Amino acid sequence: MKAWLRFLPSIIGKAIISEAIKKYDIEFNILRAHITPRGGKMLVDISGPEERESIKFIEERGIEVKPIIKVVKKDKDKCIDCGACISLCPVKAINMEEDFTVEIDDQVCIGCGFCTKSCPTKSIMLFE
Amino acid sequence: MGCDILKTIEEINQKIKDGDAVVVTASEMTEIVAEYGPREAAREVDVVTTGTFGAMCSSGAFLNFGHSDPPIKMSKTYLNGVEAYSGLAAVDAYIGAAQPNKDPELGLDYGGAHVIEDLIKGEEINLVAEAYGTDCYPLKHVETLITLDKLNQAIMLNPRNCYQNYAVAVNSTDETLYTYMGTLLPNYGNVTYSSAGELSPLINDPYFQTIGFGTRVFLCGTEGYIVGEGTQHSTDVERRHGVPTTSAGTLMLKGDMKKMKPEFLKAATMPKYGPTLYVGVGIPIPVLNEDVAASTGISDEDIICKVVDYGVPRRERPIVKETNYRELKTGKIEINGMEVPTSPLSSLKRARIIAEELKKLIEKGEFLLTSPVYRLPSRGYTLNPLEIRKPSMMVRELESKPVIVTHPDDDIKDVARKLVDNNINHIPVVDKKGVLKGIVTSWDVADAVAKGKTRLRDVMTKKVIIAREDEPVEVVARRIDKYNISGLPIVDSDNRVKGIITAEDISRLVGKIDKGGESI
Repeated sequence: MKAWLRFLPSIIGKAIISEAIKKYDIEFNILRAHITPRGGKMLVDISGPEERESIKFIEERGIEVKPIIKVVKKDKDKCIDCGACISLCPVKAINMEEDFTVEIDDQVCIGCGFCTKSCPTKSIMLFE
Repeated sequence: MGCDILKTIEEINQKIKDGDAVVVTASEMTEIVAEYGPREAAREVDVVTTGTFGAMCSSGAFLNFGHSDPPIKMSKTYLNGVEAYSGLAAVDAYIGAAQPNKDPELGLDYGGAHVIEDLIKGEEINLVAEAYGTDCYPLKHVETLITLDKLNQAIMLNPRNCYQNYAVAVNSTDETLYTYMGTLLPNYGNVTYSSAGELSPLINDPYFQTIGFGTRVFLCGTEGYIVGEGTQHSTDVERRHGVPTTSAGTLMLKGDMKKMKPEFLKAATMPKYGPTLYVGVGIPIPVLNEDVAASTGISDEDIICKVVDYGVPRRERPIVKETNYRELKTGKIEINGMEVPTSPLSSLKRARIIAEELKKLIEKGEFLLTSPVYRLPSRGYTLNPLEIRKPSMMVRELESKPVIVTHPDDDIKDVARKLVDNNINHIPVVDKKGVLKGIVTSWDVADAVAKGKTRLRDVMTKKVIIAREDEPVEVVARRIDKYNISGLPIVDSDNRVKGIITAEDISRLVGKIDKGGESI
């Protein structure tokens, strides 16, 4: 599951995530992070047999967990399938189909925003 | 090219009218020729349709606005804030696709290409014109709204379209570059290419056996015409299987904007480069003989192109390696032992749609072929460079002051003294051999004092933006401008510091920094 984790300043100093990883059988992948002494947020991908339990655990420890349904969207009317974005994607989330249609895999996308800035027709949108 | 004529354009047109013509796309022809050979293919196939949908900066349109009352002789004309050239009679203007907006807020995001697209979509465009006023044209200012249907003429006239092959771009430097070939990641991080390969019009008729002045083509959803070779047309280049391995032939194209369809053109902005117009072009190639069949049978694998390093902002860019379009279209190529992802830039999907669309039009008898008035020149054309009479000054020729350096283990206090005693703001940090290790500015020193740091190595900037002795001063000026820095060290090929160059030195020399560039 992909989710935004929000940290309040009061829990910044606590090693909640590492505790969760030790305690539960999960894979924990940090996609984006922005944390300062004033709090912060982290985009993560949590998976594994004890995914649900681990999320309950970190919520109880004070981290707000906000699952995200969509990361990225291509505007089909504006996109001309030029493919300028394909080679810029750091996680290979953008691919060209057999018929040369450009497809973005929402499951793979980490929302880095590099393609949105580089799209010649401004056809790619990110969800926050 | 001593092939006998198998059929004439007139004969093919008769077949089209009778509904008997065999029409295939260039991709289909590749398979047919591979299977049956060019002789058999020439007998069976009458027309091969090609297509491309690429960013063609060298595009634009002549517009005639009609006369106002009282009349005006427009000398400065703006369409939605984009300047159109109107040094033509009174109410004609040429809007160029690559022209940015005069409003800095919009800048590169809405340019000439966007005006052209909006006109074709039927949208209202704000027209502002200034004039100096004459006895016959007294009005000095006009502001109104125009639409495509109210214009007397809107003639797309593109000075250079459909490049016959093109360079493939890569970037060897350690910074991201924003070019007309799209965003190029550092350290050979990605590859971009712009030709449609085996579908591309001029690759299928490399010696222009059938293409010339007057050839009717598919242009942005309607019929257009080739009005001769395009600008920068060149012919005497390296060829493989007859096809140029780099940019060569070009077309000048003309079409009626009023009949164009928005799905066959698209305004775009190459990030931090500028506006450009994606133009949809399809050219029918009559299969007159075996030679033409063989040419149109070319496959992506046999179309060779050069990977060029855009990290070198000079006219002659270094060639990194050779590749072909089959390899490029797999999505990755190998460079220096690394797998590098590729991006097409031109829409292969729409190129194919255009070739299919043109095929359908011909099959339905709605599009007849033309005999060109003259064939495009296929030899004797090379490109002349623009010689700058006053050649660029090289960094080496700059008179730089004796360079003051410091060493990584020096004390901050000594560095501060050096800055003050010499009345300077930057000091390069070098090792015992004089090799550059970092740079320190008076700001860094102040920051160090504030934070209680004493050793220079903890304070200096280690990633230094440098100037090389053999670079033109203008290139360094652009670097100073891009990074918004006040000075940078000059180094030789062994990275030994030879001097320092400041923004002030540059502005004294260059004056205004030129931000010009090349276009596709």
